[in-house]
Amino acid sequence: MWPDRRLIDLFKTELPIVLAPMAGAMDAELVIAVAEAGGLGSLPSALLSPEKAREQVQIIRQRVRAPLNMNFFCHTPIDLTKEAEARWKQRLTGYYTEHGLDPAAPVNAANRAPFDAAFCEVVEELKPEIVSFHFGLPEPSLLKRVKAAGCLVISSATTVKEAVWLEQHGVDAVIAQGAEAGGHRGMFLTDKISEQPGTFALVPQVADAVKVPVIAAGGIADGRGIAAAFALGASGVQVGSAYLRCPESKISAGGRKALAEAHDDSTVITNVMTGRPARGVQNRLMREAGPISPDAPPFPHAATALAPLKAAAEKQGKVDFTNLWAGQAVALGREVPAAELTRDLAKSALARMKALAG
Amino acid sequence: MPITTPLTQLLGITHPILLAPMDVIAGCRLVKAVSHAGGFGVLGGGYGERAWLERETAKLAGFAAPFGIGFITWSLAKRPELLDIALAAKPSAIMLSFGDPAPFASRIKSAGARLICQVQDEAMARQALDAGADVLIAQGTEAGGHGATRTTVDLVPAIVDLAAGRVPVVAAGGIADGRGLAAMMMLGASGVLLGTRFYASQEADGADEAKRRICAATSGSTVRGIVFDLSRNNVWPAPFTGRCLVNDHARRWIGREVELMQNVAAVAADYAVAREAGNFDIAAVIAGEAVGLIHDIPPAAEIVERIAVEAEQVLAGRRNSIVSAA
Repeated sequence: MWPDRRLIDLFKTELPIVLAPMAGAMDAELVIAVAEAGGLGSLPSALLSPEKAREQVQIIRQRVRAPLNMNFFCHTPIDLTKEAEARWKQRLTGYYTEHGLDPAAPVNAANRAPFDAAFCEVVEELKPEIVSFHFGLPEPSLLKRVKAAGCLVISSATTVKEAVWLEQHGVDAVIAQGAEAGGHRGMFLTDKISEQPGTFALVPQVADAVKVPVIAAGGIADGRGIAAAFALGASGVQVGSAYLRCPESKISAGGRKALAEAHDDSTVITNVMTGRPARGVQNRLMREAGPISPDAPPFPHAATALAPLKAAAEKQGKVDFTNLWAGQAVALGREVPAAELTRDLAKSALARMKALAG
Repeated sequence: MPITTPLTQLLGITHPILLAPMDVIAGCRLVKAVSHAGGFGVLGGGYGERAWLERETAKLAGFAAPFGIGFITWSLAKRPELLDIALAAKPSAIMLSFGDPAPFASRIKSAGARLICQVQDEAMARQALDAGADVLIAQGTEAGGHGATRTTVDLVPAIVDLAAGRVPVVAAGGIADGRGLAAMMMLGASGVLLGTRFYASQEADGADEAKRRICAATSGSTVRGIVFDLSRNNVWPAPFTGRCLVNDHARRWIGREVELMQNVAAVAADYAVAREAGNFDIAAVIAGEAVGLIHDIPPAAEIVERIAVEAEQVLAGRRNSIVSAA
């Protein structure tokens, strides 16, 4: 069966397949479907209120008996200066005018809070078997509380240096996130986007550098990719984009259409959607203002001024300002139920390994 | 048992391991060492310098093991007569990268050599197949030197599917050990092409300091861009850019390419001096993302052997048994 059982044994899942937590694109439904098939379901929790998180976990616990991963961000919040805000608004003025919107009208600030005491209480109460973090780890006292609650802790590394740092700070497994991956780059010790290695260059280097199990992430969306990741020394894989078109995802009709039409080179790493580099399907704003713009204010503030534009464009069925996060494997996504996809991924990976075992 | 694939059968080699034709670095000494060990050495014909090519091919005359000669296609098009010098050395294959191989295909084939084409996307793969390519090399962006944007995890299966068994597909980019060979075979490749790993070998014609820097580098120590090409007045056609180790010069100019172009005369003069002097704070060490896997400078034969043994173990499911053949 699986040539490396370290992750399966650690998580106590049937399969070494982790559903990527895709904030804004999914909720409990996708978690349940993947967990039912034996994968690790991940609930993106960074944008949820404690009440909403409680409700989602309750739904999951009622419908499936399986380990659960809750995912949080742990970026250092940066205040938005008046100047940065004005510069970004200025950059977007033409779009506001085009959509008949008032650039001076007040908007709610983007809600991407880092993991804090309030989130920590939620974790202590709900006791997910696994907690995953993005952008490093929370401060030591909070991390200690998460571990004391009995949760395993994992986080993403985009370089060997970050992987070693995470291991030294106590993670139970490292996600090696290659440049192909969709969504936010987990980078936290570097800001050099052009120097981020690809998944298959990164995974063996991380596997050599840390003792904890390595989860390969980025560009993996079929059995061949999973089998290859194991050959490189991974103990598991994290898969996101492959699940975006599943009926259980929360992608809008317009988003589904854009995903169906996407191909290998449809995605770019951009900072204009939120202020932090992230890979997604290229939209009008990324094309015209990015993909990387010095005018984009720091995470998550870039998203604030985009919210009215996103809503207005989506009303017209357009995804011009929608952050449709997806990785380079986006074209491999299929419109099949997530449980079936999960089982297919595992089956085809094992078949591939067996075929080449000679 | 060595790994047998359609590639090893086609080229008559023992191990599905190809040497990348690194310009200036892959001379006849390295080619012989790789081919002698059962891999497939490919001479770095590069941009096509007549004197170098004549000297190196002369030393390959009568060499018994299969080997190839590689060229940068768009550069060869400016000096097509160099292909005759290459073919006179009786290589098993000519490898063409970066440009339309069609104008050279019939001469290569009628000389009895195989045509190996390196591609970076599906359109290039179709063009190569139409020209009669016998082998496709799918080069991911992880590769050192010139290349494009797609990564191996995405590109290799795509080209394998496109080739549909008509020709073997070789994976290139970010590979330096047996795990990489095994992984690329999982993706459907019949073999791998390695550059940086063989750069850090005893037989490579590179500066010792460059080899030392490759051994010291970690993941995230390389960058793809146009700074080093601009700095040596070397204009490449789109979509190709180059990957090298990050150094002081790269740090200084990345993101300021337009300014570099405006000052190109002065920069190029300094750069040429640095290249001559082996000052790698300025001159680029061409290397791929696999640098973090490379920690020593063994003989090339040992590299071939290590990769073959390790890949076999990984494919057989015997993990954590990384054994050096030495």
